[in-house]
Amino acid sequence: MNHEPLAALAVLVLDGRRWLLPQAEVASLEPLLDIDPEVRPPGSIGAIAYRDAWWPVYCMSGELRVMARMPEKRRLCLLLDNGADRFGLVCDQIESLADPPPLFPLPACMRLPGSPIEALALLDAGLGGATTAEHIARLIATGEHDDA
Amino acid sequence: MPELPPRQAMAWVLTLDFEFRAAVGEREMVHLIETPTLLDVPRTPFYCRQILVWNNLLLPVMDVAAWLRGQPASRQRTLAGVFAHQPRPGAEPDYGALLLAAIPERARVADEQACALPEQPSGWRTLSISCFQRGGQPIPILDLPFVFSGGLQGCDG
Repeated sequence: MNHEPLAALAVLVLDGRRWLLPQAEVASLEPLLDIDPEVRPPGSIGAIAYRDAWWPVYCMSGELRVMARMPEKRRLCLLLDNGADRFGLVCDQIESLADPPPLFPLPACMRLPGSPIEALALLDAGLGGATTAEHIARLIATGEHDDA
Repeated sequence: MPELPPRQAMAWVLTLDFEFRAAVGEREMVHLIETPTLLDVPRTPFYCRQILVWNNLLLPVMDVAAWLRGQPASRQRTLAGVFAHQPRPGAEPDYGALLLAAIPERARVADEQACALPEQPSGWRTLSISCFQRGGQPIPILDLPFVFSGGLQGCDG
C-alpha cells in the first residue's frame, strides 16, 4: 500500500463527511453572503464575483451529489481553481491538518467507475476521501443530483 | 502432530448471513473481530461500503451475502473476519474483510465431499472456485483474490 503523504491538503466537511483537496487548488474562502443568487449558471446556487470574474457556486451532498437547495448547515464557500476549472463549493466547515496524513489507495473492490476518490486518509475525526477539483467539476458537469 | 491423510484439507466454514454459507482455506482467515468498528466510504458499491482499520491498514469490508442478493440487508449480529489472499502468484499477501453472522467453524474436507455449486443464487458460480457437501448442504469455496480484486464489479449476484 502507498502510505505516501501528499502535499498540503485542505479538509472540507459536507454533511459530516470529510473530503481532502490539494491546498494548491483552493483559491479563496468566501462568506455565503457574497453569493449572488441572481447570477445562476445551470446547476449552481449562485455565483461569486472574484478576481474580476463570476465563479459559479455549487452545493453538494456529503456523497458529492449536486443539490438544488443549500442545507442550513453550510457556512462557507470554498473557491477552487485548478487552472482549467474555477468554481465555488459551499461547505459546513474547513479543517486544517497539522501534517499531511498518510494516504491509502481505495481498495480495488470499492472503486466504482468514475469514482472521485483518489485515496483514503484516516483522520482524527474519521475517514476522509482525497479528491481533486477536477473530479468535483466532472461530477457537477455530469449533473448527478441528490434530491434528498 | 500426526499428518492428515492425503486428499483432505482444513477449511473455515463461514456464516455469511441467516441463509448463505461459504468456506475458505484454513490459512486464509487470519483474524476475527466481534462487533467491529466499520467506517463508511461514500460512492462505493452497495456490497462493499465500509472500511475496517486493522494493523494500520484500511481493509475493504465485503458483504458477500448482499452481493449474492443484489441488495444490502440489515444484520442482527455482525462480525468481521480478516482474510489474507494473494493477488498474483508470487505477490505479497493482501488483506480484506468479510462480514459474517456467526463465528466460523473449522471443518475437515475430503475430496469425496466435492459437489456441484448451488444453482441459486447464480452468483455463486462467479465467486466460487469449487464446492463441497457438508451436513447435506453445498458449501461453496470463495475465490478471495477474485472477490477482493474488484472482480464482482459489473457481475450480477
